[in-house]
Amino acid sequence: MSLVWKLLRQHISVPQLAGFFFANLFGMFILLLGLQFYNDVKPLFGQEDGFLKPEYLIVSKRISGMSVLSAGEKFGFSDSEIQDITSQPFCKSVGAFTASQYRVMCSMGVDGVAHFGTDMFFESVPDRFVDTDLAHWKFNPEEGIIPIVLPRTYLAIYNFGFAQSQSLPKISEGIVGMIDMLVLLRGNGQEMRLKGKVIGFSTRLNTILVPESFILWSNAKFAPESELTPNRLIVEVKNPADDAIVNYINKHNLELEDDKLDAGKAAYFLRVVTILVMCIGLLISLLSFYILMLSIYLLVEKNTEKMRTLLLIGYSPVKVSLPYQLLTIGMNALVLALSLVILYLVRSGYMDRLWLMFPQMQDGSLLPAIQLGLLLFVIVSLANAFAIRRRINIIWNNK
Amino acid sequence: MEAIKLLHTLPLVFIKREPKSQIWLQDVVFRKGETILIEANSGTGKSSLCSYIIGYRKDYLGTICFDDRDVRSFSVSDWTALRQHSLSLLFQELRLFPELTAMENVEIKNGLTKHKSLKEIETWFERLGIADKKKVKVGRMSFGQQQRVAMIRALAQPFDFLLVDEPVSHLDEENSTIMGDIMMEEVRRQGAGVIVTSIGKHMNLPYDKTFSL
Repeated sequence: MSLVWKLLRQHISVPQLAGFFFANLFGMFILLLGLQFYNDVKPLFGQEDGFLKPEYLIVSKRISGMSVLSAGEKFGFSDSEIQDITSQPFCKSVGAFTASQYRVMCSMGVDGVAHFGTDMFFESVPDRFVDTDLAHWKFNPEEGIIPIVLPRTYLAIYNFGFAQSQSLPKISEGIVGMIDMLVLLRGNGQEMRLKGKVIGFSTRLNTILVPESFILWSNAKFAPESELTPNRLIVEVKNPADDAIVNYINKHNLELEDDKLDAGKAAYFLRVVTILVMCIGLLISLLSFYILMLSIYLLVEKNTEKMRTLLLIGYSPVKVSLPYQLLTIGMNALVLALSLVILYLVRSGYMDRLWLMFPQMQDGSLLPAIQLGLLLFVIVSLANAFAIRRRINIIWNNK
Repeated sequence: MEAIKLLHTLPLVFIKREPKSQIWLQDVVFRKGETILIEANSGTGKSSLCSYIIGYRKDYLGTICFDDRDVRSFSVSDWTALRQHSLSLLFQELRLFPELTAMENVEIKNGLTKHKSLKEIETWFERLGIADKKKVKVGRMSFGQQQRVAMIRALAQPFDFLLVDEPVSHLDEENSTIMGDIMMEEVRRQGAGVIVTSIGKHMNLPYDKTFSL
């Protein structure tokens, strides 16, 4: 074998192979990076809200300049308005947001030491609209622990607005659950201290959500006389893309709280950009593959007589093809390994930055890139091996 | 393989000529163990005959059989096996690799079957007077020296038939005799047949049959 290699390596052009090597490395890296980045970032766009099913819409009344001036106008939905929405054909069921009608003070801290406090409020929706483990979504006055779902933006505001300027540590979703939340309820001449426990975050619900059982209990206790007019409704619809919904909303001067559309657009652009980048990578890879094949063909051409002699003295086409096949497969493997190493380094860099922006991001893995890389390696190597064998067969057939 | 049969064989290029030949368009059988001389003039298809038998070319009419099998039916692996174990050819144009040394040229062939030991090969180099050329690249050797290397390579495998195409065209009488001796020793040891072609000058051997091409 070594003698055959010594013979057939004659005329190998190092610059040509180096050209292929770097072009292929570049193309492969871009291709893998495109896929890997898409896979790493995609969950941030397509995230299903853990706490609300997708076919739920949140409706509120539109606040115009005029309605602000006329302070007497109600923003809440009357019973007849709720009835009207319920009777619409697109609607499956309607639930009202119920707000706390008393004063709520909340302070957060670690180990019982309060770090900051604020006035706030609670809202609830009927339990059947909350898609979470209902075992945790219960309030028992004797235990005195309120399960809370916070808007995800709060975490971002803390991490990027507050923590960064105050040199405080950034916190993840998991850590928030371990933070003590002290809740002070005051109204109707009574006061009560309870504990709050953040059990999750919601991207779509822009409110501090608590179980309905807690709101009913606390409103009865701290604000027995107040009138409950819901400001927002949660509507279960048959098909969120139904035109009738938009028509109805516009006609009755309502507003939809929904970021699905924006996330959808961003995800679409992400996909387009990724595909574009991957196409460029693929194109470079294809061109480099072409360079390699030309280079090998040239090599076979220059060494044709040597190969013919080898065949005539008893070497099989398999044995004569093998050196060049091993050469190309070895180079392809080296390109794959090197591009994965570079990808790993680059990915570590951008993942650190992404974690700063999206602490809730999953770690993910290099698996998609490794799979695509291996697939390409196998396809390209088989194509190389097959093309080389074909050239040798042509020599065998003396054409 | 016991016999090579040429049944009414004719190179395609000779179709219009109707050559007067003891080989072309005849039924000829070469048997294992025979020593055969084919005398030819230039352009009578001597190298073509070698190419047909080794399976390199197929541009002929008629049939060539090894034993009773038509060689046209041979697969790639059949030919590879034949060239490794049953059939050896000393090419007229030698077909050595000029980039490799004389020894490497022999080893690249012997390595396929490990038929000869290094010592046996070295003994042949010594007897043919080119022991000092073992590590010299073949490209730097004279044609006569190369012919001797090519002969060693042709002998470095098992065979039933050995074809030697003008083996001594560039050798003096003495070296020609030594080469003939070495060749016949190996041919007899293997019980093989040998087919020698020549234009004029030929090895002095006890030929069983002589054909004029």
